[in-house]
Amino acid sequence: MLRNILAGLAVAMVAIWSLSAPPPASAADTVKVGYIGSFDTDTGKSTIRGTEIAIEELNAAGGVLGGRMIELVKADTREDVAEGIRAYEYLNEVENVDFIISGSIDDVSLGWLERMAEYRTPTLDTWTSFIGIIDKVVEDYDKYKMYFMNVACDFALAMLYVDFGKDVLAKDMGWKTVVVMQEDTAFAGGVYELIEQVLAPEANIKILEHIVYDINTVDFAPIYNKAAASKPDFIYLISSVRSQVPASQYVKLEVPVPMTGINVAALGKEFWTDSGGLGGGISTLSPIPSLGFELDERSADFYARYQAKYGDARPIFPHFNGFNAYYGMLNAFAAAERAGGFAPLDKWVEEMENEDIVIEKDGEMWLRYAFWKPGEIEPRTNREYTHNIKFDIQPPYDQGAPSMVVIQWYSDGSTSVVYPPKYANGKFEVPDWLK
Amino acid sequence: MDKTTLKLLGGWLLFGVIMCLLPLVVSTGTLRILIFAHFLAIFAMSWDILSGRTGYISFGHPFLIGIAGYTTAILSFRYGVPIYFSIPAAVAATMVGGTLFFVPALRIRGTYFALVTLAFMEILYQMTKVVAPKVTGGTRGISGIETIVTGAVPNYYLTFAAMFVIGLLLWLLVRTRIGIALSAIQMDEEAVKSAGLNTTKLKLFAFMVSAAVAGIGGAFYVHYLGSIAPRGIFEINFLFTILIAALIGGAGTIVGPIIGAYFLTMLLEFLRPVLPGMERYFLYGIVALVVYVYQPNGIHSLLASARRHLSVGKS
Repeated sequence: MLRNILAGLAVAMVAIWSLSAPPPASAADTVKVGYIGSFDTDTGKSTIRGTEIAIEELNAAGGVLGGRMIELVKADTREDVAEGIRAYEYLNEVENVDFIISGSIDDVSLGWLERMAEYRTPTLDTWTSFIGIIDKVVEDYDKYKMYFMNVACDFALAMLYVDFGKDVLAKDMGWKTVVVMQEDTAFAGGVYELIEQVLAPEANIKILEHIVYDINTVDFAPIYNKAAASKPDFIYLISSVRSQVPASQYVKLEVPVPMTGINVAALGKEFWTDSGGLGGGISTLSPIPSLGFELDERSADFYARYQAKYGDARPIFPHFNGFNAYYGMLNAFAAAERAGGFAPLDKWVEEMENEDIVIEKDGEMWLRYAFWKPGEIEPRTNREYTHNIKFDIQPPYDQGAPSMVVIQWYSDGSTSVVYPPKYANGKFEVPDWLK
Repeated sequence: MDKTTLKLLGGWLLFGVIMCLLPLVVSTGTLRILIFAHFLAIFAMSWDILSGRTGYISFGHPFLIGIAGYTTAILSFRYGVPIYFSIPAAVAATMVGGTLFFVPALRIRGTYFALVTLAFMEILYQMTKVVAPKVTGGTRGISGIETIVTGAVPNYYLTFAAMFVIGLLLWLLVRTRIGIALSAIQMDEEAVKSAGLNTTKLKLFAFMVSAAVAGIGGAFYVHYLGSIAPRGIFEINFLFTILIAALIGGAGTIVGPIIGAYFLTMLLEFLRPVLPGMERYFLYGIVALVVYVYQPNGIHSLLASARRHLSVGKS
């Protein structure tokens, strides 16, 4: 009996031992970059591809940190919180990465954040915009100082959206009442709080109803009927998952109320085909660079390389976080060159805080990849945004890029930026059936 | 105590010794994987003592784990209660709250019971988001929860100790007359009643033990992760993982869910460097299916028959 148990345990030990074997062979003395996020979503792929193009560029230029090549290892989170924590552990304890770039969504980033603080691994988030994470950096700098976020946080997004609400929705369109339709996700819940606390009171827009729907909803007719029954001036949609479904049904049903808001599917060029050509009249807030956004020379070059490398594989136009990943990698490695590597951490953090990629177009500030420093106060909101991208939420946007733009889909399948005026190349429109 | 039980206790002892020595020979990355296996084993054993023994299939175990997780997270993070108070409070809350919710369910059988437990999970999922979101953290949950220990090795020992003690106690419990009576409920509840036993009390006992184990596991899990979010706990995939670990390991055996938890967790993580994306879940599904089709009683039964074959071969 005992012998049999021993035999069984020996088998188990061999299995465990095999797991402790070193990871797949990698080139000697490489610098390892870990990607954490989804592998399957367009947004996840955008971060991966932006990172890959940056790595190709840096390696082709002779490598980094004394001629070492950069190697990318990836860990899928499946957009699941616990899986995200396991992925972060894997990148650190099995792959021993030097730097992590993330395309994680809000609650997944919040999940692995404590592991980041434990491992002290330099990490850059390119998708999540949750201000709660930036607040953690502000409140406990020593613990979270290795964290950077190069998309404007949601509070900054909301502040500029307030201006859009005041200038366009309230003033130009004369809209005063809204029904908010929100998907049941962490992201959408956070955005709704900001609408309720900031947009509605500041733009003097009254929320008539707040509808929360399940992300697996396939029939939006009853929801739109309910929204329309409140007779609002417009519907504000907050949707990041399967967003083409509410959008295409809105057009198909010819809902008799204008709609704007946040529609993540509408950030991608595939939105038109995904919605069966029923995307005309949809507008959405978007971080930048976005669809319809006029690209500067440098970003256009990145996009050309993106097209050459990935061809027709979706997303055919990178989401904003694809650009963020590309420029973020350049930031991180430029800082590492000056600091002599990613360790010691304090030196790298100091150099990352000094990073400043300014991109001009026609002689004026167009994009900026820099970060708010500890103690620095943003004048409009009078608060700190330590390690968030250095956005500017006051015209003429000459201290940084605006936190967001509003993009508009037209019935011919084209897109334009409609707000803020400095970046606008089209007009905000209601769908054809409402004109 | 009979000779067989003593021999098997020797097996437990040996298992404990080997697992205690493991950090000396494997990487911290492997220990991190095993930590998740330990949690999965605790959750699967919790499910097993209720569903595997009595046949009352629970689809609501994340509900129990969620009560514990949120109780200790809120008490320690929001109100600064020391974790050596918040964890026992969480276990108590799981037992009390869970029992109150499950008492009516214990009067329902079969599919209805499973669906009612699933409904409990969904109710708590929605409650965490809409009832006092400032306390629960709403959809984004709570991050920055105090950890009991930090680092792979201390967490490995902590979680292994918890799993080992729970496993051993449950294994001893199912070998008592109560354990046998619980199994009899699964086979023929009416016959157990006819024998003069109070099946409601027995089922309630099974549920309370199950809730206590889920409570301990849930509280430790949250203090290991350092965060809690509704989507991370009340996920249908999380529920399936617990069920599959118990079933593939061997339901109703206590040892089976431990084997199943190690098998599933290690299989998935072993595949990660080779298949980092969703493909590994596809392969994992196939492997699980093959094992389950080949031996519906699980790996535990497979190992037992292999052992018998070896014994016959030798004699």
